[in-house]
Amino acid sequence: MAGMKQNIPEMPSTLSIGSVRNSGDASVIAVTKQGELINLYAMFRSAIIGLTLACSLGSAQADDSLVTLLTDHWKGGDHSVLEGGVGEFRFEGGNGAVYDGGDKVGEAIRDTEAFTVAFRFLTEDLEQKGPARIFSISKDTSHRNLTIGQEGERIEIRLRTTKTGRNGLPGFSSGAFLKKGQWTHLVLTRREGGKMVLFVDGKKETEKTVPGSLRDWDPRYSLILGDEASGGRPWKGSLRDLVVFPRAISDPEAMDLFRGRGISPGKETPLTSVSANNPNAVLFETRVATILTQHCLECHDSATAEGDLDLSRSLTSHTEDGVLVAGDPSASLLWESIEHDDMPHKRAPLSVAEKETLRQWIEGGAAWTIDFIDPALYSRPVAEIPSRVRRLTVTEYINTVRDVFGVDVAGEAKTILPAEVRADGFSNTAYNLNVDLKHVEGFAELAGIAVNKLDVGAFAKRFSNKRDHTDKTMISLIEAMTPAILRGPPVEEETALYRGISTAVASAGGDFDEAVGFVIEAMLQSPRFLYRLEKPVHGDRARRVSDFELASRLSYTIWGSAPDRELLKLADEGGLDREGELERQVARMLKDPEAVSQSLEFCSEWLNLDRLSFLQPNREHFPDWDPALAAHMKEETLRFFEAAVWEEERPLGELLNARFSFLNRDLATHYGIEAEIGEGELVKVELADVPGRGGLLTQGSLLTIGGDEASMVSRGLFVLNDLLRGVIKDPPPCVDTTPVPGSANQTRRDIAMERVANRSCGGCHAKFEPLAYGLEKFDGLGSYMSRDEHGNVLREDGEVLFPGEAAPVAFDSIEGLMDLLAESDRVKETITWKIVQFALGRPLNASDAAAVAQIHEEATQQGGRYRDVMAALATSRLILYAAPAPANDN
Amino acid sequence: MKTTPLSRRTLLRGLGGVAVGLPLMEEMLPSSLYAAKAAPEIPTRAFNVFFGLGIPAPVQPDDFSDVLEPLAPLKDQLLILRQVNQIRCDRSGMNAHFDGASGAFTATPPDGEARAGGASLDQLVKRAHYPKGTPEGIVPTLVSGTFFRRSRVGRYVHSYNPDGTVAATIQERPRDLFERVFGRVELSGDGDEREERLKRSVLDSVMEQYHLYTGANSPLGSASKERFKDHLDRIREYEQRSFAVKVDDPRAPALPPPSRLKHGGAADPGGEGIDITLEELTEAWRIMADLYALSIQMDRTRFGSLTFLAAGERIRLKGDYHYNGRLIHRFDDASQLKASGSKGCSHEWWHKFNEEKTNEQLRAHAHMKMREVAYFLQRLHEGEDCREANGKSILENTMITISTESGDGRHNDVKRELSGVFHAITGANGRFKTGQVLDANTEGLDLYNTMLSGMGVKEKLGPQDRRHENLDSIMA
Repeated sequence: MAGMKQNIPEMPSTLSIGSVRNSGDASVIAVTKQGELINLYAMFRSAIIGLTLACSLGSAQADDSLVTLLTDHWKGGDHSVLEGGVGEFRFEGGNGAVYDGGDKVGEAIRDTEAFTVAFRFLTEDLEQKGPARIFSISKDTSHRNLTIGQEGERIEIRLRTTKTGRNGLPGFSSGAFLKKGQWTHLVLTRREGGKMVLFVDGKKETEKTVPGSLRDWDPRYSLILGDEASGGRPWKGSLRDLVVFPRAISDPEAMDLFRGRGISPGKETPLTSVSANNPNAVLFETRVATILTQHCLECHDSATAEGDLDLSRSLTSHTEDGVLVAGDPSASLLWESIEHDDMPHKRAPLSVAEKETLRQWIEGGAAWTIDFIDPALYSRPVAEIPSRVRRLTVTEYINTVRDVFGVDVAGEAKTILPAEVRADGFSNTAYNLNVDLKHVEGFAELAGIAVNKLDVGAFAKRFSNKRDHTDKTMISLIEAMTPAILRGPPVEEETALYRGISTAVASAGGDFDEAVGFVIEAMLQSPRFLYRLEKPVHGDRARRVSDFELASRLSYTIWGSAPDRELLKLADEGGLDREGELERQVARMLKDPEAVSQSLEFCSEWLNLDRLSFLQPNREHFPDWDPALAAHMKEETLRFFEAAVWEEERPLGELLNARFSFLNRDLATHYGIEAEIGEGELVKVELADVPGRGGLLTQGSLLTIGGDEASMVSRGLFVLNDLLRGVIKDPPPCVDTTPVPGSANQTRRDIAMERVANRSCGGCHAKFEPLAYGLEKFDGLGSYMSRDEHGNVLREDGEVLFPGEAAPVAFDSIEGLMDLLAESDRVKETITWKIVQFALGRPLNASDAAAVAQIHEEATQQGGRYRDVMAALATSRLILYAAPAPANDN
Repeated sequence: MKTTPLSRRTLLRGLGGVAVGLPLMEEMLPSSLYAAKAAPEIPTRAFNVFFGLGIPAPVQPDDFSDVLEPLAPLKDQLLILRQVNQIRCDRSGMNAHFDGASGAFTATPPDGEARAGGASLDQLVKRAHYPKGTPEGIVPTLVSGTFFRRSRVGRYVHSYNPDGTVAATIQERPRDLFERVFGRVELSGDGDEREERLKRSVLDSVMEQYHLYTGANSPLGSASKERFKDHLDRIREYEQRSFAVKVDDPRAPALPPPSRLKHGGAADPGGEGIDITLEELTEAWRIMADLYALSIQMDRTRFGSLTFLAAGERIRLKGDYHYNGRLIHRFDDASQLKASGSKGCSHEWWHKFNEEKTNEQLRAHAHMKMREVAYFLQRLHEGEDCREANGKSILENTMITISTESGDGRHNDVKRELSGVFHAITGANGRFKTGQVLDANTEGLDLYNTMLSGMGVKEKLGPQDRRHENLDSIMA
């Protein structure tokens, strides 16, 4: 039906990952008149990456339109639509049916090196040979990518790889299971690496490894049913329920397909909150909210609401008279004031493009789809950050070398490699993990160091008992070592390069160990070792990651290191897809000490504890300062975190108010805590009776954030940014940001309150400085006092303004503030956000919001502990799926 | 196709317009630096020249005609030896291509898959004549060649120490050969030069891998690709800093252009054979042959081996083959064999050899190989640069042994396969007969030992208790 396509809403291709009911590659289910559940063309969402097709699903949920859609995309052939409304092809030995869009299928499969084809078929003749083509991606009888055909009572498969050549020969056959006139369900799946499995009625029938790569697949070949593209190999029979995925599926999934259940790994939440069905809403969520955040909310959010205008909520922006008149920009105050640059006040005007976006949005109906505009989500454009490949951080590099080879290069790596630089609050942020000459030199040198420390012979023995230089031995050894070292299946060209090194060593008279050593040295500098490489995502739909990719994602997320043998074995077998296996693995991994060290790495990064190594207080102000205290403070926080998270398994919110810590005599004395503690080792100290102490914010490691002057600004900003995920703009240029010291009749709070009251500063400062009021009794190095150095009496009461809220909440003591923070949903959510950000290596934005919210909710239900967040994260879409790259990144 | 041979002069003008030549300044140098060149006597030199797959014994003519036609211009400088058998080189369980190739110039069966059974001819001559090592400024042993298949070292390396280990690292790219002869690697650490060269081959492979991810077929998105390009740039910078080649011989020619062929592991991944045109093959080979000959002319090397196609080489050759204005054959192995992959390679003509038939393709390949062997030999014979103090050419003054892997291509009979293995030798400054085709009726071992004794080498190849049959017929 030609009209179908026209009914599809036009949308930017980057946005259509949204609200399709069954996102990802779950199935589209239709119910036939017989009441049977039919898994109908999930290929439209997963294999066929054509944008029109993918988009059309969103609106194609009415039962009969699916079938129309089906026939709409096939040309020729003797296919028919059955009366029951189910697409079924009946081939009577004439020409086949060609799919319109086969090139996209071919391209997707070529790139993922894996696929699944599933269908139900019925043969009318057991004498058919040729093989008679049932399903084929081919050009003619001697050029093909893939053919599934009938050869008498067997199914014959021909697959083109770099090893089998352009006609996919030799092929392989199933057993003789075909029965005339009987519907049979067939699934053919191929894993990256070459393992192929044929399932018949959900059960494994034949297994075969077809070596080689699919990179020679010619995407121009037709996807055809019932015959060869050039004719001459007709098949007689019927076919329905065809699905093609550009990935392998697991055994249970094959059974699901047989049972017509469709396959739906993971959860069914959309990857984004973007409302794909309404273009105006899309515009709002992807661009307008960002523009409002960047230009308006500084003054017009719930808290400040200059001129009583709150542009962060629909309630006020739409109901205030004339602010937003849907459909009529000229009548809208908002448009009027920005059009002539009356607004933003004292900030740069909006660009022409931004204005045009706002105008279009108002004209199109000024859709508003969310509760309130949270600047944490919208401060950067949704598609701003292309997905970037992640280089291993120095820590990950050290961990990986240790876990893969059992060799410790920590000392050397920390000296040789440049230290990572923080960006967006973490030093593992992918866009900032660049490569300098020092890295390249360092990786080369470290590779040599690692190999020197390695017992190469013993290592090689894990993979091969043979020790010679022949092609056979070396190539199989390289292929066997590849998953263990490079975390993925071997790739022919790379194997050849490694083999080249071993021959170079052999022809220089080197022995087996030396050859393998140099091969490992090269592997250690491979992009696949140094980066976390993943296959690309085609089109605009998220792709379920491959088994090896999943193994790596899990291990780097939970351990900060390479997958271990168990994970790799499961990845190789496709076992991670087994019912409950993922959860089992996550539980197993969380018991490993590496999960603890990775959590401490997170803690250290989140709270920027490395800062303490550079603490140099002013000697005049702090004559008693002992530099060893900085190290003790860092250790205190890490020990506290470990105890709270792992030993006491507390909910993460309690990191803010748990009344214990780890101290030694020096640190206790410095804090002014009287306790019987020895020198040296830090020991656990209960703080229930110690006024003002308990929780991260009362530890020296965080109190020193304010510098010598205990800056309310720095402390307040930390709480706002890192605990409340608030967003505040940089101060306007030419503002003197030097902290103002207290004086004989003015405490620091007094000074802060002046700033907050000041008209030009208060709009922003009111949002964060009061957050530090409760910490006033701690000096710049974390000592507790009731009067400042000038003798002014210090207070500990104050108010917290949670982002998005209009009114602050009061507290009357340090403990009160800590309890308020610990119980705040915003704080708990933020900790989840930070953990997720650290795991993904990129700042989060609006498109992540729904997934993170689900992770948080699930973790909260399980107890809100670190392990709960990790478990929810590890089984979330953010880990199971690779998001499509923005449209401009392909 | 390149028809003008690269002389020292043309190299100095810059190969392919890539590099600027260096001025010839040897007269400005203290003579001690290049003492070897200044010495008036003719240095003792020995080289092995290997070509892959061989010429079946029944195809070898008794004169300089047919497949040996290209050697005719050098007939007075060569002694062709028929009926030389290498059966003792057979090692059961080992591929005959490999056994035969390993036996060439050693006359012993291989010792495992990476070692020869003993020394090669050139190395024994070297040890006898330079017991304290070759003079300073000379590359002790130069091993090079144009080849693709590399499963076993013996297929392409043809200089071996007495313990069977390779005598020198093979230089397979023109630039590698150039650097080995005229340059020295700046050592970045404490490692020795061999280690540095291997590290460099590691780095080459790393660069290749980044190429895979930054090229047109890269699977990465643009942002990631850019990052990898950055990484690749940094690797290049690192390479230049750490492995910069310093040319310390002012007489050196310009750096040759980068090879257009693939090398190392990528040359023939999996041994399935490669598609190559006659032009590509001969161009690559002739640059190597030119550089190798030049290094002999400049007395930068006196011993070593040169390989034109590995034993059991698998190429699918295409191109019209003309010789002296005559079309000899139109190479198109895959089409003529009606097969792809390894089954479509010229190698198959040897497997299909049939005495009763014309074996047209095999003969054409063999003819072409002889033309290319002759090309190298002529570089040591023609022109003033090749004239030595005694009035003879380098070719005439040097012991050069030319051989191959088999005397038949069919694998079903080892005896037949390792009998009648083609050999040709030069006169070695009047020591051996030249100018004829001789039916030697001998074992390779006796031939080699006769040659060694002719060169004044006391040591013998093969089992030391074996009774040696001297081959008087080859002695001048």
